[in-house]
Amino acid sequence: MKRAPAPRRTTVGSTVARARTALGQPTAVLGAGTLLVLAVLVVAPLLGLVNTTLTAGNREAWTDVFASPMSENLLWRPMGNSVLMGVATAAGSTVIGGFLAWVVVMTRLPGRGILGLLATIPFALPSFALALAWESVFRNDLIGGSTGILMNLGIPVPDWLAWGPVPIAATLTAHYFSLSFMLVAAALASVNGDLMEAAELTGAPTMRVARDIALPVVAPAMVSGALLAFAEGVSNFVTPALLGLPVRFHTLSTRLYGAISTGDVSRGYVLSIVLILVAAMIMYASTRITGGRRSFATITGKGGRRRGVDLGPWARPVAAVAWLLVTCTTVVPGLVLVFSSLTLRTNDFSSGLTLHYWIGGSDPALAQGQRGILNNPQILQATWNTVLLGVCVAICAGVLGLLVSYVITRSGGPRWLTGTMGVLSFVPFLIPGIALGAAFIAQFGAPIGPIPSLYGTFAILVLAGIAATIPFAVRSGTSALGQVSKDVEESAVMAGAGLFRRIGSVIAPLTARGLFTGGVLVFVQMVRDLSLVVLLATPAMPVLAVLTYQYSSENFTQSANAVTVVIAVISVAATIIARRFEGAAQPWNSNS
Amino acid sequence: MTSTIGTDRAERTGMRSEASSASLTITDLRKDFGGTAAVDGISVDVPAGSFLVLLGPSGCGKTTTLRMLAGLENPTGGEIRFGDRVIARGDGTALVAPAERGAGLVFQSYALWPHKTVRQNIEWPLTVARWPKEERRSRGDRVLSMLAISDLADRYPGEISGGQQQRVAIARMIAPQPEVLLFDEPLSNLDARLRVETRGELMRVHRSSGATSVYVTHDQVEAMTMATHIALMKDGRIEQFGTPRELLESPRTAFAATFIGTPPANIVECRVHGGRLRAFGVDCGAAPPPSGGGTVRAMYRAGSVGIAADASEPGCVEATFADQVPMADRWVIGVDLPDGTRMHVSRDTPVGLLPGEALGVRLPSAPDAYFDASGELLDAEVSG
Repeated sequence: MKRAPAPRRTTVGSTVARARTALGQPTAVLGAGTLLVLAVLVVAPLLGLVNTTLTAGNREAWTDVFASPMSENLLWRPMGNSVLMGVATAAGSTVIGGFLAWVVVMTRLPGRGILGLLATIPFALPSFALALAWESVFRNDLIGGSTGILMNLGIPVPDWLAWGPVPIAATLTAHYFSLSFMLVAAALASVNGDLMEAAELTGAPTMRVARDIALPVVAPAMVSGALLAFAEGVSNFVTPALLGLPVRFHTLSTRLYGAISTGDVSRGYVLSIVLILVAAMIMYASTRITGGRRSFATITGKGGRRRGVDLGPWARPVAAVAWLLVTCTTVVPGLVLVFSSLTLRTNDFSSGLTLHYWIGGSDPALAQGQRGILNNPQILQATWNTVLLGVCVAICAGVLGLLVSYVITRSGGPRWLTGTMGVLSFVPFLIPGIALGAAFIAQFGAPIGPIPSLYGTFAILVLAGIAATIPFAVRSGTSALGQVSKDVEESAVMAGAGLFRRIGSVIAPLTARGLFTGGVLVFVQMVRDLSLVVLLATPAMPVLAVLTYQYSSENFTQSANAVTVVIAVISVAATIIARRFEGAAQPWNSNS
Repeated sequence: MTSTIGTDRAERTGMRSEASSASLTITDLRKDFGGTAAVDGISVDVPAGSFLVLLGPSGCGKTTTLRMLAGLENPTGGEIRFGDRVIARGDGTALVAPAERGAGLVFQSYALWPHKTVRQNIEWPLTVARWPKEERRSRGDRVLSMLAISDLADRYPGEISGGQQQRVAIARMIAPQPEVLLFDEPLSNLDARLRVETRGELMRVHRSSGATSVYVTHDQVEAMTMATHIALMKDGRIEQFGTPRELLESPRTAFAATFIGTPPANIVECRVHGGRLRAFGVDCGAAPPPSGGGTVRAMYRAGSVGIAADASEPGCVEATFADQVPMADRWVIGVDLPDGTRMHVSRDTPVGLLPGEALGVRLPSAPDAYFDASGELLDAEVSG
């Protein structure tokens, strides 16, 4: 393991004996096994993606994308739009998330707890929920088809409000401000209380305390939140697809989807590589900025109850803005989706309400004979697929995450191994879902030796899901493992329990709660995800999110909205269950 | 060259007969972490049934040594034998798995499994070792009653006190009837009274099991009370190995002299001058044989030194009173010498001084022992 110090003559016999003792270590087997799995899930798809664009016949794709008359439309303008959306999302999320965090943590407004809870919900919703809700309200007659609620009430909606960059930026912000809120609120909570009071006791004026104490602690969280929102805004697929494509507003994500789904695969792959590089640079910068500092944002803990800022005459306006923001991003879209799914004619309340789109049979007069979603075998199949996908990915990613974090933190393996595994398990965090989906098609879409093409199978969905969620799974595995002291495991070593028996009898029971919570969050991620699976799911292997997208594109608005409500209910319910379970007692620490 | 991995079950079941024991032989054992040696080539040999204490300050390598005996670390040099069985060699040619060494370990943190009850904690290792169910049960009952924790059998570790957890940890260790008992500072998390009680308990367990024990501590009182053999360690090496009495009566280094004893012996740094030793302007007797010059460390036992109320009394070192503690029916007076060295003086009565007040320290005509500047014993006549 370590260097052998005493120069001792090595005989063949002793070398063999030493090799045998080293190979006999189950940790070596585990390390090699998990490394192999990570390589297949993470390295292979990326290599496959790059490789495919370099094979003869595909190489022109690079010149097509970068240096051809098409480049303008294929790359540069979409890239500009992506960056524009990223900047708008980052700015909007930071302002709104920061404001709400300040209100919830630092003021004495009544109902702060509920405000805080509502502010975290948009992130638990599928990102297309808000885009669909926007469309249901603001859609105008520019591209034909049914119009939104406002138009149906006789209120004209200008094109810039119905389509293109403004609604995209608005709905992206409404989704991702949650992320900024959570990061900034956590950081603010850590400066709150003792730390601020200690500073005030020195006699420093309030502004000075805010500048010298609060800001430095909160700044990394704000920057990190802004960069994450930027990266999400750059790479989000579904929002620009729903609100931008009808008016030919393209981003990198919609371009690469368009290219791949229309058979222009190699250009799509090149665009995927470009998107990965752009997103990876931003995400990497974000983690570098907060990496070293995150610890001091949490280490200081909650401290005492602070008095809270008294807003005086500003209390009412501030409260009004805060409540308006959270209702417009949670309750209102929810109600819009539910009611819109109940309108007989799309988004027209005067046409009357109906449950047809939920439970109705086939009626040629409505939605081209589409049945109500709870009566539609394709939807039921998709629901089953989605839930099964979520469960499979949660279990596999959870197990893999635990094993990988075990190898990284416990195995005492060589540094190159643990380092490589750390990097590999982090890389998918840098890759936008749609690009990862493209990479999986590039690698597993064609038969490799004896393995047939996985395109259109359930397996490719599961594999891509595991790859996409492995950074999260490893992180939750590591924090769960941190709860089990090394001694507790070593005493099982002394008892003669082998590696896998230790994991099964000691580590798994003690980490079960953390792993379960992490697993539920992975499940939610998979259920509401569209960008990863949009390229991988096929009509024969439907999942809910993709069906929603198809319904919406085909103008079956009520069905799309109804399915979105189902997904939102599953996601939010699972998230709440996970939170509950986190606090539940276990028999062996019932009185602690 | 035979691999000792996978000792067959017959040999392990042989471990089950009560009062089996093995001698312990450590030869040139070393453990290098990166470039630094945590254990720097140590050799110890104790007969079966011994109670060996690895004693030393933190970072001296005692815990690493214990972990190598347990099999939780692999040596990078040297050899460990239990009886005539080689259980680990630094060159990797022999490495017996921890559970097959016939050794049990009590961790400093006890390391009980929090999700198992007391009984499950004790019986699970027997399950792993594939004891039949009835035997597990009866052995579990036996050790539970041996350690007087039968009524805690169905509690979880989180529901019992620290002292009770300690007993569970001991019970869990002895249940499989190991030949070698390993203890890693097992008393350091207990309060003072419980520590003394549990010390007695541990010695009872050691005697009744007949096993060879290896016990790691930084507390010399524990070492002196429990050990048949002490290996005093410092910087990864053994400073001195012997019985408690040998270490106390004939320390081989200045470090050993100041580490062992209650209170420990005092060391005064002396300058050699014309065949005589001088310290703080006072003559300390004849210099030991190689009296070329330089410095010599003179050792004085607490009882050899006197106190003079008048600091300026001729032949006395002027010192400052620091504190005093009653010990048995005597008093141990702490004084600070002019160079800041703390000295312990034992006498029948306390002194009537306040901390910081001056007093005189009267040194006997000759020290109890001499050490050279590096702390090694000088082979001079030691007067008691």
